[in-house]
Amino acid sequence: MTTKSTLTAISPKPLPEGTHTCWSCGSMRAAHFCESCGKVQPPTPVDYFTFFGLPPKLTVDVAALEKEFYELSRRLHPDLNARAGSREQEWSLEQSSMLNDAYRTLRDPIKRTEYLLHLEGVALEEQSKSATERARATGEIKKQIVPPDLLEEVFELNMQLEELRMNKKMGEDDPALTAEISQHKHALEAKHEALLQELETYWTDWDNLIDRSFLDQNQGSKAPAEERAKITAKMVDVLNRRNYIRNLVRDVNVALED
Amino acid sequence: MSYSDKVIDHYNNPRNVGSMDKNSTDVGTGLVGAPECGDVMKLQIKVNPATSVIEDAKFKTFGCGSAIASSSLATEWVKGKTVDQALAIKNMDIVKELSLPPVKIHCSVLAEDAIRAAIGDWKKKQESGKPVAAEAK
Repeated sequence: MTTKSTLTAISPKPLPEGTHTCWSCGSMRAAHFCESCGKVQPPTPVDYFTFFGLPPKLTVDVAALEKEFYELSRRLHPDLNARAGSREQEWSLEQSSMLNDAYRTLRDPIKRTEYLLHLEGVALEEQSKSATERARATGEIKKQIVPPDLLEEVFELNMQLEELRMNKKMGEDDPALTAEISQHKHALEAKHEALLQELETYWTDWDNLIDRSFLDQNQGSKAPAEERAKITAKMVDVLNRRNYIRNLVRDVNVALED
Repeated sequence: MSYSDKVIDHYNNPRNVGSMDKNSTDVGTGLVGAPECGDVMKLQIKVNPATSVIEDAKFKTFGCGSAIASSSLATEWVKGKTVDQALAIKNMDIVKELSLPPVKIHCSVLAEDAIRAAIGDWKKKQESGKPVAAEAK
């Protein structure tokens, strides 16, 4: 994956070799257009943060991002470049498509976080598998990604859902059970919401780390991989719990509606 | 995606579905989950304290066909084995037996985790039981 190595250098970073100058007028160019002649430039393979000229931080000014998005989509719109050369048309089409992907990913708090984890090379399933292998080798108990009390809750609720489905199949109605499940669902939804707030505290940790590593980099030291991993692990943990709860709430809704 | 015949067989006729008293000292309980698919798997074993042989195993899984088949197979395999023999079961053994496709490997990982968690729980009970017994004498 090429995105990972580009991220360790962290923007604002120089564009790849040979893309510094405008293809048309030879001036130094901005990310997507030449600053001098304004012509659209060929797309460069960068991550979504870099595409918007942003550092890879998780606290994003969504209003400013939206403004930038509309501005760029206007200028990159293929119709606007209809009279340009076919090369330019093709580039604006490619840039537009990347712009849409980048905007959709970065404006959403969860997608943004997942994208950053992806850039950091975090592979959830691979992590779980290697943890199992470690447990096998050492004989130690594997730490479950989902905390035991949440697992108990998920299991109990699934048992109740099974009962509910069974009742419905038999044409029976159990208002007490339905009420209990609904109540449970509301509690889960509140937990789901609270997890987003917890996630935001890790964003702050991450952003501070990025700010600090910029300073360190200027002094020639390396990006603190261990510290990064510590924070991304916390984010993974929150996302896992959140996914679990989301899936469960979805199952409850299906069972209640049926 | 199509399931293998063995998965379908375990899915339609799951072996050893049920539960045991989790407070019994002979019973070990493993409760594990996979957040990416929302699966939750409970596997319980009843161990003979004198021989360390797993005499009975039960499971209850909420999840996809592969998760149900993996845990059903796991209960079949651990029964009659000693605790140490059961710890030697690897997720790839389950993958091979059930011909699980790569996207379903996490189901087999979950089943191995469940076996380990159940045995871990049982072992913990045996250790915590000993000092009390020593004091009683």
